[in-house]
This record gives sequence, C-alpha cells and structure tokens, in this order.
Amino acid sequence: MTAQFDYPEDREERSAAQVRALEALLIEKGVIGSGTVDKVLGYFESEMSPLNGRKIVARAWTDPDFARRLAEDTPAAVAELDLPEGMAGAEGEHLAAVLNEPGVHNLVICTLCSCFPWPVLGLPPYWYKDPVFRARAAREPRAVLTELGVPLDPDTEVRVWDASGHARWFVVPQRPAGTEGMSEERLADLVTTESMIGVALAEAPA
Amino acid sequence: MKLQHQLGGLEGLDGPIDFEKRVFVQDWERRIFAIHAAMMGLSDSLRGAVPDYDLDTVPTAFASTWTWADLRKGAESMNPLAYFQYRYYEKWLGGITGYLVEQGYLSQDELDAAAERYRKEPDAPLPERDSKPIDDQVIRYLREGDSPRRGPARPAFAVGDRVIVGDPPHSEHTRLPGYLRRRPGTVARVFEGNYAYFCSTGPDGLGEPVPVYIVRFEADDVWGPRAEPNGGPLFADIYEVYLSPAPSEKGSS
Repeated sequence: MTAQFDYPEDREERSAAQVRALEALLIEKGVIGSGTVDKVLGYFESEMSPLNGRKIVARAWTDPDFARRLAEDTPAAVAELDLPEGMAGAEGEHLAAVLNEPGVHNLVICTLCSCFPWPVLGLPPYWYKDPVFRARAAREPRAVLTELGVPLDPDTEVRVWDASGHARWFVVPQRPAGTEGMSEERLADLVTTESMIGVALAEAPA
Repeated sequence: MKLQHQLGGLEGLDGPIDFEKRVFVQDWERRIFAIHAAMMGLSDSLRGAVPDYDLDTVPTAFASTWTWADLRKGAESMNPLAYFQYRYYEKWLGGITGYLVEQGYLSQDELDAAAERYRKEPDAPLPERDSKPIDDQVIRYLREGDSPRRGPARPAFAVGDRVIVGDPPHSEHTRLPGYLRRRPGTVARVFEGNYAYFCSTGPDGLGEPVPVYIVRFEADDVWGPRAEPNGGPLFADIYEVYLSPAPSEKGSS
C-alpha cells in the first residue's frame, strides 16, 4: 500500500521532533501541564486496557444470566463487575456487546474513522484503523476473516457492525471447547483483543 | 464527495491487510494521542456536557472546542491520496497542529523553531508547569465521558419497520457511511433517548438530539451483484435524520 509513495528518509525523526515541539509549546502556553501527557498515557496503560474486556468475556462464559444481561443492556451488566472506575467514560458512554454463538460470527468495524470501546478494549490496534481493512471488511468480511486465519464454517452467518453512531460495539467470542472447569482468571487469558473485535476466535491452550 | 466518506466497500484495495496488532508503532505516536485526549478533556464544549465539569476552575489557556468531530473533519478534509499515504497518527499530528495554529495557540514559526531544537537535542527536557488541576480535569473527563444522550425520544420508527437511507447533500463532515446511501434496511433496535452530535453537519443534518436506530441491511441490498456469496447482514447505528420510511412493498398492508 505504501510502496507507491515517497517518504522522506527522516520521516519518523521529523514527526518525533514535531510532537515534542507541540507538547513543549502547549506546556509553555499553559494549555496543558508538564505531566499531562504522561498522566493520560498512564491511565490507559494501567486502567483502560483489554484486560477489562477479557474479564467481561470470561464472566459471560461462566454465567449465562450475565451473558444475557450483557447482550440486553451492556452498560448495566458491565457496571456489575469489579472493574476500574470509568467503564462509562470516554468512548465507553454507550457500550454494546454482540455475542458470537453457534452459527453466528460478529465483526466490528468503523468505516468512517476508528470508533472503539476504549474502556473495555483499550486503544485500537493499527490493523483496525487501516483503510484497506475498513474498505474490504464492509463488503467482503468472509474473505477478510479467511485471510486473517479465522476458520469459518460455510453455514456460519457473518454479521458486520459498522460503528457510525454513538454505540461502541465489542464482540464476546465463543468459549472454546476443552475449557470446562477453568477458573475465570484462566479463561480471561484465552481472550485476545482481536477476538473481541471479531477477527480471531478465543482458543483453548494448546 | 469525499473518498473518506466512501471508504466502506471501496474496491481495488486487494492487497493483504497489514495485520499490525500494536496500538502505536512509534513512540512519538503515544504523545500525539495523549495531546488529543487532553484537548478533548479541556474542550470548551464540555460546559454543555452531562457530567458537571467545572471548567472555570481549571487553569488552562485552552478555550476552544476540540471534539472527535474536529479531528474527523481534519482527516476528511485531506487530499484522498494523502489520506492513504500517511499513517493514522501522522494524520492526527497534522490535523491537531493545523487546528492549534489556526486557532492562534501557537505559530508555525514557533513550532518550526522548537522542532529544530528537538531535532538537535531529542532528549532536551520539556518546560516545567504545574499539571495537577489540568490533569485532574482530563482524567475526570476520561472517567466520566461526554455522553451525547439528551432527553426522551419520540422515535418515528419501531423495530421491524422497513426504512430507506437518505441521500443528503455531501458536506464537510458526516456520520453516514457512503455505501449506505439510498439503501433499504430494517430497524433492528431503537436506542432509548435522543442523541446529539458534537456539531452541526449543515445540510447533512446532524447536530440536534434525535433518535438513533440500529438498522439491519442485507448484503445483496447494499452491494448488489458485488456482494460476497453467502454474505451476511450488516448493521449500522443510523441517526433518524438519515432515514425515511421505505416505499410500501407489494403485498404489505
């Protein structure tokens, strides 16, 4: 995709210096403080990470009533769990979980930008924001999922969710076979960010 | 008409997807992300937010509105070739810098001079300025958010209703994916309450609080003969201003 464009050799150094300059001037002018950027980054690193989504999925796997409530009223169900304060904060104001089930596979995309449920999944990985993924996943999700290594039965219905309004969707993957009796903690370890967007399955340990 | 509004379904991008799972691929990207988040948390528009943010007590020089709509407008105003050329956070850096210069918070000359300094001395320290009251507001915004939900709704459509997506005039900014224009669908869910948008999108129609629906579209209705074999449904949340009742179908009462 990028081979057709010319980039300066110092592309990254230039951007790094520009960002540093921007941050320094914003501090100097009193827009932000010296520690603001680090504080924001620390918040996402320590509290708003995919760990929250993994715990939500593991609970849904072990408690069918919770899974039902999560599908019907995601914010209320998420609020039941012992997660960091802020699940209904920025980009989590209107969370909406979609549950995979036998014969149904969900895929979340954002064709207009990069809408993403920050509090439960953290910040979006690069592939999610890639114009090629966004263009192709809308029209040919099965081809995209096959390319990304998701085994799909031909009879499985693929449902695509394009985040164009206020809702911030995430996927609850199916619980893998062979995980009976596993604790919620161990189950949470089987859940990846990719599986909570729908471009991967949750897999049992080999 | 903007390519950025028509990306969903755009053909010819047949190369493999770059399945890069990292969130940031360069360290500097972290910092432009955080600057954006901080500006949203200090935005003058939060005076109208549902949480009772007391911006008057926050000692920031920032007195402008900065929301997702502003960031999106920047990306949507780009030359479409440049949109493809630059990485995600390169577009953010360009958009945010352009906005701050345009709003008069800093000049391009100042920026160039400071960038030159940091090119020579990448590890030169940042200026010292007390951060706490600003940081507290930014973190409070991240925890409490800025829900667009406003007041009770009187939705025009109910679950199961057949609707057709409109074809509003093309404008600077929209939340209507281009590939859904003029497509028929079925209301799958009516969200409780009305939802505002950050700004008016002019003749495109967004801004005032309106009902929002999850609309289900069949692949064949959206893509016609270009749909995937065995293509499943696509769902999108659509503001009521973009929807009309579908012309009545034969045999329906």
